[in-house]
Amino acid sequence: MKKLKLIIEGMHCASCASNIERSLKKVSGVKEASVSLMLKKGIVEAEDSVSEDELKKAVAKAGYKVTRIE
Amino acid sequence: MKHNHNHHHEEPVEDAEIRSWKNKLIWSWVFAVPIAFLMLSERLFGFSLIEAPYSIITILILGFPVVFIFGWDTVKGGIRGLFTFYFNMDSLIALGTVIAYLTGIFYFTEIVQDYSGVAAMIMAFFTTGKYVEAKARGRASQEIKKLLELGAKKAVVIRHGKEIEIPIEEIKLNDVMIIKPGEKIPTDGIVIRGGSAVDESMVTGESLPVEKIKGSNVIGATINQDGILYVKATKIGKDTFLAHIIELVEEAQGTKIPIQKLADKITSIFVPVILTLAVLTFLGWFFYSGDLSRTIGVAVAVLVIACPCALGLATPTALMVGSGMGAQRGILIRKGEAIQTMREIKTVVFDKTGTITKGKPEVTDIKSISSIKEKELLNLAASLEKLSEHPIAKAIVNKADLKSYKKVTAFKVLRGRGVEGKIGKDIILIGNQTLMKERKIDLGSFVRSIEGFEEDGKTTMVITQNKKILGAIAVADSVKEDSKEAIKKLNKQGYRTVMITGDNERTAKAIAKEVGIKEVIANVLPEDKSKKVEELQKSGMVAFIGDGINDAPALKQSNVGIAIGTGTDIAIEAGDIVLAKGSLEGVVQSINLSKATFRKIKQNLFWAFAYNVVAIPLAIGGVLHPVVAEIAMALSSITVVSNANLLRRSKI
Repeated sequence: MKKLKLIIEGMHCASCASNIERSLKKVSGVKEASVSLMLKKGIVEAEDSVSEDELKKAVAKAGYKVTRIE
Repeated sequence: MKHNHNHHHEEPVEDAEIRSWKNKLIWSWVFAVPIAFLMLSERLFGFSLIEAPYSIITILILGFPVVFIFGWDTVKGGIRGLFTFYFNMDSLIALGTVIAYLTGIFYFTEIVQDYSGVAAMIMAFFTTGKYVEAKARGRASQEIKKLLELGAKKAVVIRHGKEIEIPIEEIKLNDVMIIKPGEKIPTDGIVIRGGSAVDESMVTGESLPVEKIKGSNVIGATINQDGILYVKATKIGKDTFLAHIIELVEEAQGTKIPIQKLADKITSIFVPVILTLAVLTFLGWFFYSGDLSRTIGVAVAVLVIACPCALGLATPTALMVGSGMGAQRGILIRKGEAIQTMREIKTVVFDKTGTITKGKPEVTDIKSISSIKEKELLNLAASLEKLSEHPIAKAIVNKADLKSYKKVTAFKVLRGRGVEGKIGKDIILIGNQTLMKERKIDLGSFVRSIEGFEEDGKTTMVITQNKKILGAIAVADSVKEDSKEAIKKLNKQGYRTVMITGDNERTAKAIAKEVGIKEVIANVLPEDKSKKVEELQKSGMVAFIGDGINDAPALKQSNVGIAIGTGTDIAIEAGDIVLAKGSLEGVVQSINLSKATFRKIKQNLFWAFAYNVVAIPLAIGGVLHPVVAEIAMALSSITVVSNANLLRRSKI
């Protein structure tokens, strides 16, 4: 298990955050995803096998952009 | 290590958002104001500035940039959402404005009334609302932002015997930093030379400056006040105290509060539900009235009045303001849930040592049998206690202050009771009365002096040699300055206050009496504390306040665990709430802050629900003009965020 912090660009409303959460949780291996509109950040708990690229893609699918992963 | 300092670069993101909305807002109105005049001219002046159809062509031309240039991000995102099924509120605004705009074009085929002006007005009000909301959101996070920017940018270190200035990222462990008066301490470290008072208020909330001498720990980002300090860096980058605090606060933002679950669920299905409602409204109105123009107006109003934002922002904004206010006072809310649970707390349980008391016991009395000198007794005790880590042991060792100690063999720590070892052939036992009883050692006339010490709130250790008593050493751990005041406040608020300790009953009761606690659970072994908390939970929810190192299980067992720390000794993982400064005043503040924040969340959720419950039916009923609907929508989310900002007015 690992914990990743995503810095996300383009969120401006509450449904944005829940869209991203929904999209991230669909990635197989992601256990928990919580996105904060206020901090423009998402915290993802996932299996080690989940790649950063997969997460970036999931965020992009919902219409937003990951600028950095910590 | 490097990315830790990127916090500084994140800040402009917020500003960028506000700036971008501001630009959109200004340009939108440049075009929308003339449109408003054109639309209202007949009512305002009694005649039309430009006659139809030229007026409509003008509005279409003026409105195009408002909807499709300045509003392009919204329209694009919204339409995209319709295809990917990731709907957001842009989807509603995009549909509303695009449909309204298209009516202006269809007007020329003479089917419908022209709403194209409305499209531009909706977009202009939408961007205005978003701008105000983004600003208010920025305000909500101002304390947290301050925290992010707190770190020093540069440091002066000694390298190869020379003082050089380097960026903070280049500090290495064990670098010696030089901090002049008035300067920020670059990173966590230990003072190796010099002395000064350091203002730690920005990190711990402690208002008085803290004296630092050789050997003191200092925290990065705190400010050196009056002397020069030479500090060896012990923690850098992600490991610093400040970095931990920031991570904590950010993590708390991500945690969900139970009360928000319903709002979140609604937010996530909100847009599809409104889209469906808009379609049904359209069909319904068209079926009954047959008036397509009117029907379009009503459907657009339904699309733009609904706002998931008020619902979605209600909790996080209040939590943001609340946790920011806390961080300023050295109160770190780790789990948002604690805010909700705090309301139901009936009992507040305090650990004694290090929580109510300073946790730095000192030897106050030494009493020996006539055949041995007091100093000799102390030296003997110190030789054994030197091998123990217990605070009482340290007190004895400090008091003895020896250069060399007697050789001890077969040393054993008897957890919660004392220590045992051999000096030469003699078996030395040092411990409390429980231990003496266990070993069936007769205390004789010493019982009276021991009881006397204990009634004064002193912990007493008996020293025996080959099962024969040699004497006793009394140790007192003084109460923190504001423990009494804080507990008085809690008692007044109606909390059941309890003290739990491994000390004996008499000592514990003396301390409890001093600070105003009526209930005492004494003689509790460290590992049994969580069991005692469990028992107390049978009669109501329990908050446990302890140091987080020894008390971690009890903190976890309690409904709200408040871990108390001093300076860099902070056990972050243990508590739901972490207090950076040691004062119990922080406990009162955490309770008040949690309650105030939760009240704000409830208010916000109420308004958000009430708004949608009232506004959506009104729009469906055709009572509201689309532009009025849009204004109402913008105001609803602004109200919620502004209300959250009002939390700062509450006294905690």
